[in-house]
Amino acid sequence: MLSLSKLSLNQKLGVVALALGALAVFANVAPGHTVKVNAKELLTGVARAEDHVTPQELAAWIIEGRADYRLVDIRDEEAFAEYHIPTAENVPLAAVTDGALGRTDKLVLYGDGGIHAAQAWMVLRGRGYTRVYTLLEGLDAWKDEVLFPVMPESPTAEQQARFERAVQVAKFFGGQPRAAAAPGAEPMALPVTAAAPAVAPPTLPAGAGSGPKKKREGC
Amino acid sequence: MSAPFYKLGAFGDEASLIVAFLIGIGFGFFLERGGFGSAKKLVSQFYLNDLSVFKMMFTAIVTAMLGVTYLSWAGFLDLNLVYLVPTYWVAQVAGGLVLGVGFVVGGYCPGTSIVATATGKLDGLVFVLGFAAGTLGFALAFPLVKGLYTAGDVGTKTLPQVLGIPYGILVFGVVLMAVGGFMGATWVERKMAARAAAE
Repeated sequence: MLSLSKLSLNQKLGVVALALGALAVFANVAPGHTVKVNAKELLTGVARAEDHVTPQELAAWIIEGRADYRLVDIRDEEAFAEYHIPTAENVPLAAVTDGALGRTDKLVLYGDGGIHAAQAWMVLRGRGYTRVYTLLEGLDAWKDEVLFPVMPESPTAEQQARFERAVQVAKFFGGQPRAAAAPGAEPMALPVTAAAPAVAPPTLPAGAGSGPKKKREGC
Repeated sequence: MSAPFYKLGAFGDEASLIVAFLIGIGFGFFLERGGFGSAKKLVSQFYLNDLSVFKMMFTAIVTAMLGVTYLSWAGFLDLNLVYLVPTYWVAQVAGGLVLGVGFVVGGYCPGTSIVATATGKLDGLVFVLGFAAGTLGFALAFPLVKGLYTAGDVGTKTLPQVLGIPYGILVFGVVLMAVGGFMGATWVERKMAARAAAE
């Protein structure tokens, strides 16, 4: 019979480590796939419109070259390859919790419409991602309001000025203004993603967009 | 209360520097007390006659691993938020070889050379000057070695992901490796002592 007192301190510690290691086999530390939400907090945020950014806001951020957020396209790879908003990265809907997105990153999600992004938003919030936003009404709104702004009919001076600014922004992103859409009109051709903006930025000089973020961590 | 504290906003940027300073002081203190401030002790690893540095490092790894495992299991720590250094395996193999050669030749690694300098060892100071010069040289030559710097990029990977085994099994495996390593190291030390006595 092995007496405990015959073991050296190192040997005892070794035995403790072995026991803890063996128990760890049964400890469930793998990240699960469940979400837990505080419904009140979530809904209050939605009611206060703290859950989204508008296409115009996003366009301004991209033009300013802001790098304090990540623009995330949650559509599939094909749709992403066909067209995506400049500076966006592609994380398909089913993969949003797989670790590509940091929980403390400021994230702006978009899909074609608003629904998929909102669903991803809900899941991410439930997983403890605190700074998640959706692009209001998604890529559809981006096209309607940023890429192809509609010329107002008989505009006031203020409307005219706003429209002219919108035209500048549209050109920056490779779009163009259009007349009020007739029903059944041909959809406007999307700009080629790879093409560099042909015109100078309308307001501030565009930086590299959401370039690599400053790392505070590591050795 | 849950961790990691910094990422969950328990303290800000300025306070994080103070925390880092205190942890650094503690780290240096225990390195020195463990004998890591002596080049003789450190290079004994390579002559196999005193493997205490190896044992201490492996003890630290196992202690930290078990601590992280159980804190995470108990809900105090979110493992998903713990920063992982990305794996650039080609760059890291090359860098590991350079560091290993420097360790054998100079008798220190960067951290332990600072510990040695802090306790007034001249060889430690020379080593610090050497690695400062090396760091500067690397920075100046960076455009030339840029390709190597990120060579073999496979992203952030953990062993459970790569090996496809559950986290807990891996923890147990590492503990077994450590205990086996301690027993093997002690056996090697006895052999070397016996050989030294015979000569």
